[in-house]
Amino acid sequence: MRRLLTALMLAGATLLIAAPPAQAHNVLTGSDPKDGATIAEGPSKITLEFDQPVRQGFSQVTVIGPGGARFEQGKVSVNGPKVTMGVAPLGSAGKYVVGYRVLSSDGHPISGTIDFTLSEDGPAATGAQPAASTGPDAESTEPAAPAPANPPADPPADSNAALSAQAAEAAQNGGASMAVLWVGAALVLLLIGTVVALRRAKPAASASPGTPSPAPGGESA
Amino acid sequence: MTLTADPPAEASPDVRRLATARRLIVFGLISSTVVAVLIGSAFTGEEPAPGIPMPGPFVVYGLPVVRAMIDLAAVAVVGLTVLPKLLGFGDPSRTEPVMSRVRPLAVSLAWVWALCALVTIVFQAAELNPGQVPSIGTVVDYVSSVGAGQGLLFSTACALASAGIGLLAVRFGESVPAELRIVIALFGLLPIPVTGHAVDSVWHDPIMISMELHVLGAALWTGGLLAVMLFVTADRELLATTLPKFSRLATLCLVVVSLSGLISGLSTMALTPGVELPGAIVTTGYGWLLVAKVVFTLMLLPIAAHIRYRLLPRVERREGTAVAMWAVAELVIMGAAYGVAVALTRAPVG
Repeated sequence: MRRLLTALMLAGATLLIAAPPAQAHNVLTGSDPKDGATIAEGPSKITLEFDQPVRQGFSQVTVIGPGGARFEQGKVSVNGPKVTMGVAPLGSAGKYVVGYRVLSSDGHPISGTIDFTLSEDGPAATGAQPAASTGPDAESTEPAAPAPANPPADPPADSNAALSAQAAEAAQNGGASMAVLWVGAALVLLLIGTVVALRRAKPAASASPGTPSPAPGGESA
Repeated sequence: MTLTADPPAEASPDVRRLATARRLIVFGLISSTVVAVLIGSAFTGEEPAPGIPMPGPFVVYGLPVVRAMIDLAAVAVVGLTVLPKLLGFGDPSRTEPVMSRVRPLAVSLAWVWALCALVTIVFQAAELNPGQVPSIGTVVDYVSSVGAGQGLLFSTACALASAGIGLLAVRFGESVPAELRIVIALFGLLPIPVTGHAVDSVWHDPIMISMELHVLGAALWTGGLLAVMLFVTADRELLATTLPKFSRLATLCLVVVSLSGLISGLSTMALTPGVELPGAIVTTGYGWLLVAKVVFTLMLLPIAAHIRYRLLPRVERREGTAVAMWAVAELVIMGAAYGVAVALTRAPVG
């Protein structure tokens, strides 16, 4: 047992040394505009700040105004711990909700919302509806945000393109695809070995009919 | 999963009771884990963000369940590979019948472990790309960019290596060193904490070591108990020599698991910005899950003590005891702790 423990300690030590550097779970520490702030003029961009760098890719930010109109504009940019999203000219006064989902440096998606209140009507509201009554808000703000006309579809499509580009790159380098091939071949060999060995083990263990079936692949949860 | 033989019709009530206990152990461990992980995940789900597509319920609940199945399969493999060390090698005529059933099972469960780990990788890639079925490209990208994916892949590789060397053991018996099998199985557990949280501070490495010790201790404790209770209880003579050895291991594991769990849980919370201890223990989902694990550990104490101080002396005198039934209770609680642990690795700390 002592020999075993020593081996384990050594194994653990090597793994720790070889382990990837600190990967922490990010927490939203601040934002511009601040959560719950009341502002007179709509911001041109929203900045979310986390306690540690956010991973590139996968980040999504939305800005939703009163009546459900969308105001985020352009693409999310990630710069270290800061995630920035452009904002179209805001519509009528009211509560705006910023939703985000980013990939924490420890690999977990983190999502949440902050909100801010616009105290005076933005240009998008005054342009279309000077009276700025609350009734036709949804209609008046809709044309105000032509750029993100279909924002939910855009970022995934972009990231998809980026993903397939990266996959193509990896394939070109032969890295990922060769690894998959090797792993696949090793798996097939191991599977054949398992089936054969368990078949052979059966007669020896005939006293115990409880020996597991030779096809463990079927047991996947 | 039929782990054990049905007793013949003319079996004594004693043998039949043991068979029932074995079925209860397997059923209780799996179901308590699944129930706990579902409840834990329901309480600590991702906060929905308006306008951003979120993963569907299949991913939200399927991912933690499959992730918990990795733990259970790995725990079982560890337990089954440790069993020969607990049985000892002095009396092959007694231990060989047991081991000839244990070895093939260890291989099968290593396969289950590997498959669950691979499925988890796909699920985690899907979690990051809600609304689309993950393609090979998405999964490859996930693994190459996120440490958790690499950790799971490493765990898969260890599980497959464990299956491979387990096959050698099926063929060549105990001439394949038990230590080697144990180390490979335990090695596969090491990347698991990488899939959880970590903190960015000078305390990162000590906390990681603490988490690794936690994972290793919990697997040896739960797996060892599982293996002994499933395969050794039928033979009083064998149990009398095996259980004391396991009991020493379990005592060590209990201490290591509770200390390392408290240290890594509390320090993770303390080092997360915006989290105020001790208040956060009862105001955050993470804190509640931590409390649940402490409660489970406290529930284990009297049961473990009963087995250790009341039943063990009688087991050593080769008397019949209800140790298997007490072990059912212990394993159900351990399963619940594993389920909560999976929810804990995924819950936001703040």
